[in-house]
Amino acid sequence: MSLVSTSARTIFHLDMDAFFVSVEELFEPSLRGKAVVVGGQREERGVVSAASYEARKFGVHSAMPLRTAAKLCPHAIFVDGHPDRYRDYSQKVHHVLQNFSPQIEMVSIDEAYLEMTGTERLHGPPLRAAHALHKAIHQSTGLNCSIGIASSRLVAKVCSDQSKPNGVLWVMPGYEARFLAPLAIRKIPGVGKVTEQNLQALGIHTVGDLARLDEAFLEERFGKWGLALAGKAQGLDAGGWFDSEIGADEDPKSISHEHTFSVDTADPQQLEATLLRLSEMVGRRLREAGLHARTVQLKLRHADFTTITRAHTLPHSTQLDTELFAEVRKLFRENWKVDQLIRLLGVHVSSFAHDEGQLDLLEGDKQRRWRQALSAADHLRDKYGESAVELGGGLNARFRERVHENPAGLPGKSKKTPPSD
Amino acid sequence: MPAEAMVATGTSTMEITVSRSELLRELTATQGVVERKTTIPILSNFLFEAAGDKLSITATDLDLSLRTSCSAKVKKEGACTIPARKLYDYVKLLPDVDISVKLLENHWVNIRAGRSNTKMVGMARSNFPSLPAFPGASIVKIPVAVLRTLISKTIFAISNEESRYTLNGALMVLKPESIVMVATDGHRLAHIEAQEKFGANDMRTLIPKKAMSELHSLLQNADVDEVEFAKDESTLFFRIGQRLLTSRQLTGQFPNYEAVLPKDNTKSVLVRCDDLNGAIQRVAQFADERSGAIRMRLEKNELKVSSSSTEAGESEDSLDTSYTGDALTIGYNSAYLLDFLKAADTEEVRLEFKDPQSAGQLRPEGAEDYKYRYIVMPMRI
Repeated sequence: MSLVSTSARTIFHLDMDAFFVSVEELFEPSLRGKAVVVGGQREERGVVSAASYEARKFGVHSAMPLRTAAKLCPHAIFVDGHPDRYRDYSQKVHHVLQNFSPQIEMVSIDEAYLEMTGTERLHGPPLRAAHALHKAIHQSTGLNCSIGIASSRLVAKVCSDQSKPNGVLWVMPGYEARFLAPLAIRKIPGVGKVTEQNLQALGIHTVGDLARLDEAFLEERFGKWGLALAGKAQGLDAGGWFDSEIGADEDPKSISHEHTFSVDTADPQQLEATLLRLSEMVGRRLREAGLHARTVQLKLRHADFTTITRAHTLPHSTQLDTELFAEVRKLFRENWKVDQLIRLLGVHVSSFAHDEGQLDLLEGDKQRRWRQALSAADHLRDKYGESAVELGGGLNARFRERVHENPAGLPGKSKKTPPSD
Repeated sequence: MPAEAMVATGTSTMEITVSRSELLRELTATQGVVERKTTIPILSNFLFEAAGDKLSITATDLDLSLRTSCSAKVKKEGACTIPARKLYDYVKLLPDVDISVKLLENHWVNIRAGRSNTKMVGMARSNFPSLPAFPGASIVKIPVAVLRTLISKTIFAISNEESRYTLNGALMVLKPESIVMVATDGHRLAHIEAQEKFGANDMRTLIPKKAMSELHSLLQNADVDEVEFAKDESTLFFRIGQRLLTSRQLTGQFPNYEAVLPKDNTKSVLVRCDDLNGAIQRVAQFADERSGAIRMRLEKNELKVSSSSTEAGESEDSLDTSYTGDALTIGYNSAYLLDFLKAADTEEVRLEFKDPQSAGQLRPEGAEDYKYRYIVMPMRI
């Protein structure tokens, strides 16, 4: 079997160690070394946003219900998330990264890829550059991170994971497949529960098992995804997002926000106020990404967990909170029966275009005024935080912004300013 | 005798003979009203009522109803209902001889023509919804040709978007000296006014799209010169000779269209309708498929039409004009412009613009009988 050699590319994957927890520790040093769960209080609804390494030892992991975490790890300290703090620190990380490579992609609030190919003269060989970066991050933020170095993004990501916490790991070109071979297939980014089960059913448990399979067999079995898997097993960037270049401005396919109520509610005012808040959050991210959405979707989860989604495609694209809300409220009113207890609401938009497209004849002036008002509101939020300005109707639903790996205000995303009127 | 006729209806009999060509003509006229997919089975049926020397045929989808009639030899007066689509398809296939229609037991209906003999499964006449009656007073007479023109020049701008339901129809305004028809989908607006004395005082009526389109096809084949129009609180009535179209009125507030009619579109250019139509059609082939967006650029003595899309490429066409004002580029949905150029039916059309954010106006040049204008919002591309 030939060793994969993608010549001399050098890619860093930097991942902050227990980012949310570490930021909280900066503000409350007594949390250090303890089992900490970020995301809310132990008896609250909602899910774990992050857990410290001590809490993870007890089986606590992110996306797990807070109450489950409290059962697994009763002595853990539960703290509310502070999205604005995380944004600040993410911004600091981004500043440091900019000194190391012109080609950076923050893939979430605490994780980035750096294209380091050709920076040897400036930063020295990969390991030296990585140590310098590691030190610079710590100096600037007081936080630890882990850095994976490899010739592909895929292997770099696996590397940073393997080197956690607070480590640096370099897989030299040519050793990718050998490095991956003993790892469980689940370690490959993109392999989730379903693929894992399918592969295990075939007796494939490690990446090495996968690499030994015939490409044609995988393709027959899994289609295009099978081909991507074969490539991944060799340490190649293959399939989906991994096909694109670092920093290539890939537009999202959809944007959504959800809220779980701490107590199920059938109060129409509270429900609609929440939808307004969610619409605002979605609108904010649309404007930040410079996108206009045509499809608006409502997610409705009842007290018994039955969940419905209802979507509508608008006659024209929009990025205005008010128009998103009008649509979502209409869907809500059509699909919610009075007195039905609701557990979760979600607003989801898709079918994006970069341009506003068709202007409205009858609502044109109103739209123009809203556009100006919201753009001014966005400036205030950039400066003073997300809750600096809110629509009045949403005040009944002032819930904490959930800690989100891809929040509004993600650093490094180019801000696209709409054309001024 | 009327009294006997009533009794006959009650005892469920009906037997008539009717000419195939006359029946087919009326069935064809009525087809459009019958719901294709309905959850209420009776609405897929025609109601046949025989009395005197007439067969009257009714179809309804509850919102819209059409009643028409043809002469018939009535042996037994009465009524029955027959599956509309099946009957229409069957009658089309029959030879051109007289057809006899006879109600049997259990609502079955026997159709005989020459050597063809069919029994169709009908439904009870009593299930058929009753129709509102034509009001006796306040009837307005509108020339067929005028109403036909008003409809054909506005119907395409009616919205199909159900969320803005007051836009799912056209507004007809009867003024003392004129009649106005307006339709808009929120992106463009078609407005036409004809000078005609009605004596009505600003009577505003919202006519649903399906009624507009049925009415238009009835007017195409009308053998009379005037439509009799009347309305009550909930229903609109249009009588065209033997045929009566009734429609539920659209309720709600039609937008204040007068406020959006452009007033200071000073950048004006005159072009030949065919030339512009051809240019847009060609260029639109290379526009983004979903939005159909094209650019119009006004320059000195020239109007350029262009498009580009990552999938298809790019294309440009240009027309000579006598334009001398400032240069201006505006984006439009090509389909919106083509809709108007097709409906305008004129040699030359005048385009009037203000800026890339404001509505443009298109008007046929030199039309005397009608004041026709089309207002389109630009696209940002």
